[in-house]
Amino acid sequence: MRSARLIVPTLLLGAAVSGCAAPSAPAGSASETRSWTQITQEATGQTVDLWMYGGDQQGNAYVDDVLTPAAAELGVTLRRVPVADTTDAMTRILAERQAGTQDGAVDLVWVNGDSFATGKQADAWRCGWSSVLPNMTYVAPDDALVTEDFGTSVDGCESPWHKAQFTLVYDSARVPVPPTTIDGVLEWAQANPGRFTYPAPPDFTGSVFVRQVFYSTAGGADQIPAQFDQAAYDALTPGLWDALDDVAPSLWREGRTYPSDSVALDRLYADGEVDMTMTYGPATLTQLVADGTFPATTRVLALDEGTIGNASFLAIPSSAGDPEGAMVVADLALSPEQQAIKADPDTWGQFTVLDTSLLSATDQARFDDLPVSTVVPPYDVLSRDANPELASSWVSRLDDGWRRTVLGSGS
Amino acid sequence: MSGHTAARAVRRPRSVTTSALVVLWLVVPLVPLVVWAGTSRWSGTSRLPQDLGLRGWDEALDGGLLPALVRSAALGVAVALVATPLGVMAGRALGWHLLRRPALPSVVLLAPVVLAPFAVAMGLDVVVLRLGVPGEVAVVLVLSVFALPYTTFTMRATYLGVDPALEEQARVLGANARQARLRVTLPAASTGVVTATGLAFLVGWSDYTVTLLIGGGQLITAPMLIGSSAAGSGNDPQTAALALAATIPPVLALAVFAFAGARRRSAARS
Repeated sequence: MRSARLIVPTLLLGAAVSGCAAPSAPAGSASETRSWTQITQEATGQTVDLWMYGGDQQGNAYVDDVLTPAAAELGVTLRRVPVADTTDAMTRILAERQAGTQDGAVDLVWVNGDSFATGKQADAWRCGWSSVLPNMTYVAPDDALVTEDFGTSVDGCESPWHKAQFTLVYDSARVPVPPTTIDGVLEWAQANPGRFTYPAPPDFTGSVFVRQVFYSTAGGADQIPAQFDQAAYDALTPGLWDALDDVAPSLWREGRTYPSDSVALDRLYADGEVDMTMTYGPATLTQLVADGTFPATTRVLALDEGTIGNASFLAIPSSAGDPEGAMVVADLALSPEQQAIKADPDTWGQFTVLDTSLLSATDQARFDDLPVSTVVPPYDVLSRDANPELASSWVSRLDDGWRRTVLGSGS
Repeated sequence: MSGHTAARAVRRPRSVTTSALVVLWLVVPLVPLVVWAGTSRWSGTSRLPQDLGLRGWDEALDGGLLPALVRSAALGVAVALVATPLGVMAGRALGWHLLRRPALPSVVLLAPVVLAPFAVAMGLDVVVLRLGVPGEVAVVLVLSVFALPYTTFTMRATYLGVDPALEEQARVLGANARQARLRVTLPAASTGVVTATGLAFLVGWSDYTVTLLIGGGQLITAPMLIGSSAAGSGNDPQTAALALAATIPPVLALAVFAFAGARRRSAARS
């Protein structure tokens, strides 16, 4: 969405303004002191408005057909508000925060990364609640993917929903011998002019591709400090920009232009204009192949050095009108049963955030019995040597650097 | 008389060509939508769809298309109900030069068209929340402000073509001011009123940003379904079905009004 680019700076401005002018809005950092029984009692009869990106049909169907009826059994009405971009929800939340609203229209948001960090900076999240959810006992406490969200400490301000893995995708009919490293992908792109490109950052997917190349040119993820560091930026990024500049003339349309977002890249791939695409949500691949959008010969490209992984979360704004209901829904979404249904590729195929070794034998069996996707390998294969995400302060700097250095360097 | 008829006979073929071009202009952009909306499987590499079917419509209906269309229609009607009478009053004042300094009101009325809805919604949402105006009411009011320039300037053009002396004649014949306005002037301006109503309706019918940000997600309308569907990969049949469902009703209404208007004019002429 074009408007999304305007939203981020405006959000930051809004956050800055609200920091000075906000009246006594509920503090986002208070921790939960009520018992779970008390919370569930107060949740009964509440209507939870879940704002989420609405472009994923399987995700919409899962929430409408599985999660919503299950919430109704707990006495909570779940209502899905489809948005084109999570930043739309953030705009509303920050406005509510700025106005000091106590019964806001957003109760729960599907969020991660920059939006979460922005909200946390603006004190716009209710915090300290996710650690008291009963189903948190099945989440490994030392799992860095769920304790940190793009370098921002979660601090009980959001509850994990599922894991994702950055994934390169290729058409095996057109690429019989696929590369196995990022370096190899860039070489392949130069050997096959016009057959590869990536979305222009700050698109979410284009941005993670640039970070993946950064890990490669820096000599591995552990060479880059997780929190932004100017000295490391100055020392390490020239290699990244060189690599991307070198490949630019060999990209689709000689690198003079880039797809604006991952939807545009997916379309080029579906139309056979390029031979590879990429996604931070491999769960959608199974369906895209099944409905014929992507060719049947679509395969996931396994990288020797592993790829970047993250988790996405459910967060409750501090202005939420029905926070208890939202907590009940978040806990329900974290239950082994819901996590297993959601992990089924026929339902949604999203990787669980639970540590299955902590589950009862019956619940473990739910995960063991899941059908395997013909396109997407299981999580333990896909996440082998998974790289951690960089802090969102890195993300915005790298996106800026790409725009200044690489954009327009095509032939 | 015969010279007049001859002139009309000469003009007719050209107007048929013009109409055909106008229809083409309206229809051509819809062709890919119609094809996509009737497609279940169409991988990009093949020239024609592999499977025809109603997958897109099924998904659109599952996603709440019908209630969303009803909400969009209600919003459009509400905006038209607020913006049309105001536009008639403002258009009358501007068209008949009833104001001593028309520049400032013109600028004020035109400003919402120049400003991006996003910029306005950005500041207004906080104001609306502070005032505690219910979201649905606030959406109608804000969208009416956006619709006002269209209704005002349509009515200004209409009143420029209606002679103010008409009202005076009605007064001379014994009508009071209200009767003269409602029974004489307004019927003379009725084509303009219909156009203004249609434009105001479209502002409410097609808005995304204001409905979502100021309405707080309480009103899920057709543009919200289209926007979120278009933001994902592989949704082309559904997005096409949603877009068609949102395009056809206004186009049909336009056709009906145009047809009825043409008939009334030809009836008046004969």
